[in-house]
Amino acid sequence: MSDSLPLAEVAGRDETASWYEATARERIAGLLDAASFVEFVPPTARETSPHLHLFDLPVAFDDGMIVGAGRLQGGCVLVAAQEGRFMGGTFGEIAGAKLVGLLRAARETGGGCAVLLLLDSGGVRLQEANAGEIAVSEIIGAILDARAAGVAVVALIGGRAGTFGGAGLISACCSHVVVSEQARISVTGPEVIETNKGVEEFDSRDRALVWRITGGRTRVLLGIADRIVSDRIECFREAALQGVRQAPAFGLATLVAEQRRLEQRLRTLGECRDTPEIWRAMGIDEPGDVADLGDEAFAAVVAGQGTRHDAR
Amino acid sequence: MIQTEVRSWDRQRTARHERLGRAASLAKGKQVQASDATALLEALLQPGDRVCLEGDNQKQADLLARALAAADPARVHDLHIVQSGIVLPEHLEIFERGIARKLDFSYSGPQGASIARALNNGRIELGAIHTYIELFARYYMDLTPHVALIAAVQADAQGNLYTGPNTEDTPTIVEATAFKSGIVVAQVNRIVDRLPRVDIPGDQVDFIIEADRPFYVEPLFTRDPASITETQILMAMMAIKGIYAEYGVKRLNHGIGFGTAAIELLLPTFAERLGLKGKIATHWALNPHPTLIPAIESGWVEQIHCFGSEVGMDAYMAARPDIYFTGRDGTLRSNRMMCQNAGLYACDMFIGSTLQIDLDGNSSTVTPDRIAGFGGAPNMGADAHGRRHASDSWLKAGREASDGNIAMTRGRKLVVQIVETFGAGMAPTFVERLDSVALAEKLQLELVPVMIYGDDVTHIVTEEGIANLLLCRTREEREQAIRGVAGYTEVGRGRDRAVVQKLRERRVIRRPEDLGLNPLDATRHLLAARSIRDLVGWSKDLYRPPSKFRNW
Repeated sequence: MSDSLPLAEVAGRDETASWYEATARERIAGLLDAASFVEFVPPTARETSPHLHLFDLPVAFDDGMIVGAGRLQGGCVLVAAQEGRFMGGTFGEIAGAKLVGLLRAARETGGGCAVLLLLDSGGVRLQEANAGEIAVSEIIGAILDARAAGVAVVALIGGRAGTFGGAGLISACCSHVVVSEQARISVTGPEVIETNKGVEEFDSRDRALVWRITGGRTRVLLGIADRIVSDRIECFREAALQGVRQAPAFGLATLVAEQRRLEQRLRTLGECRDTPEIWRAMGIDEPGDVADLGDEAFAAVVAGQGTRHDAR
Repeated sequence: MIQTEVRSWDRQRTARHERLGRAASLAKGKQVQASDATALLEALLQPGDRVCLEGDNQKQADLLARALAAADPARVHDLHIVQSGIVLPEHLEIFERGIARKLDFSYSGPQGASIARALNNGRIELGAIHTYIELFARYYMDLTPHVALIAAVQADAQGNLYTGPNTEDTPTIVEATAFKSGIVVAQVNRIVDRLPRVDIPGDQVDFIIEADRPFYVEPLFTRDPASITETQILMAMMAIKGIYAEYGVKRLNHGIGFGTAAIELLLPTFAERLGLKGKIATHWALNPHPTLIPAIESGWVEQIHCFGSEVGMDAYMAARPDIYFTGRDGTLRSNRMMCQNAGLYACDMFIGSTLQIDLDGNSSTVTPDRIAGFGGAPNMGADAHGRRHASDSWLKAGREASDGNIAMTRGRKLVVQIVETFGAGMAPTFVERLDSVALAEKLQLELVPVMIYGDDVTHIVTEEGIANLLLCRTREEREQAIRGVAGYTEVGRGRDRAVVQKLRERRVIRRPEDLGLNPLDATRHLLAARSIRDLVGWSKDLYRPPSKFRNW
């Protein structure tokens, strides 16, 4: 064993630690101030799904949802992270309840603690659909209550499972949304569209098409996300900090402005069939090249748009 | 005085001129309109002809396939198809419609299930399933095509062809056909005044047809690093440390599985830290695997000869002529026959995956209802008994096999199977009896389809360890060595624990810890690239992955 390589050490000082590659727990660990995270209802509590055993499916001791409190650059944050590798990060009864509880606790802080949602989810868990659907609506209600109480709710999106179904709806209710290029946000997933409307309507195996429609770059240009960062945990940390600080107030004026923005978007882009048309309509010279730009060059395109989406 | 019957000695040439005469009205010079393709084939072909409809595991003469499938079975029937790949639906349609009857081929891939059905209902009369090099050899012995229908990128008016990076089988097919009074018809993407380079001289080509769209090419050798698992990384670490390093393997071929893709991506990281750069994996017979880009860019690779090309890799390879074989025009020149020869005679190691391995080490990719064919793996994965040049790794393997007891030691090619103990759908990789045995019985095949015979296999790598079959002295030892790395499969659980322990003491079986490896170190952090996007970055944006492999 003497010639075993100290590989763990190599992994530890990997400054390029990828958000996309990381587990939910690795994301939390890299995002927050060192050793500041305290988990609520941890795996040792064994709060597992009461439904999965009916389908002879394995459970996870955290039900794929990790919630707790920690520090971000010294400031108080409440954090929820979905594990996309367990059942596609789906919302089941336990996972949903943990997030609702966290959001209600956040409301009680009256803005003292911001919320970070590390979404990585295919939506409602089909095996516990009713509980999951109820959970999603309770989560949306709890986010809006927390925001009304002055809490900033920041979504961080860039995992393998994307943000689909109920998770897509939840992301739209947040104060601020950060994505990476790998992120996907949508309500109806590509396979579901293909199944219902045919491959001519949407070829879910054409990955370039999937990302062109639902991917991080498109979503930030459309104002569905507010900020795009490189796929590094470090970059998400920096963006989370800014997102907490810049979160807009939540009141009637904000909602009216958001309604105007959406109406305007529908007027100018509502007829577009595919993303390059949208980008051309937005005045981007070479819409075909947008996907191939480096992160910095793309950031310049976004900056050139001058769009700020603090209407949320 | 012996009386001999007067016979003519140029009947084939005469027949060739008759065929050309029948087709003359359809051609202007050598050019035929795409809309006349079926008429051309009906004029040229005679019942019972041996026909090569060019198609392999990558490029396809798809226009000519459609044209042949549309032919009138009353005029064109009972053809004998002699081609390496049965890939397009049209390749089966010609049998369903009675245009063709007999088949000799190498590889089927996506049509594996259809071929099994067509054999079962008697639509196909099977000659044999070959390896590539074996079928090509028979083109020059007893399966010479009367008519070859091929694909090229460009032609000029004289019929000279530029086959581009995907040259593949074309020179071999044309050589056999053209020099035995056969007819060569080429579909081309474009007819131009001046070719970038001449891959096939015009006097070997009889007709050219400009296709309405470029011929189809399948990206078969692209493995997305995002899909590589930590189990595969562990196996790759074991292979590098326990086989590549120990035998000092420099000349090799890799299969297309994720295990070997993991090895490629560990060269610039894990293997570099072991100090192996320049000592292993320098010369390759290999398709242009995108996952080898980081190793090439890190200076690991001296040169690579390719069977075919790979979608998206053309610009990268054109910019790396010190590594790849390129024409005077700068683009890749591939050649399946030459590269298969290199793989058979000039490689010291083949490492690849398979679906099933039995207790003797025989392997197969056949499932109960699919005939996938062989492709090239059996040539790569076979000890070439005609080899007469030495290398350190070849001799070391030979010494291990002979136990140092015989006067005339010969070398051995390292033939390594790298497999997880359970495959897709949790199907066990290790079995008492290959599914191909049952298939052979059902279809009454003369020969059980075996990808690599057990007596050629030297090592089996699984997540449980490495079994070195060279060091086994009896059939019983081999069986226990295989069971000893077969994990929790029925075969693995049927091991004799005492014998396996003894084999481990003799280093016939080696576990990760025997190699100084900690399974917990096998993480995706070790991969030089963790996504297709990373590979694009390594290539300095020269690699242009096809749409289905992008996630941006």
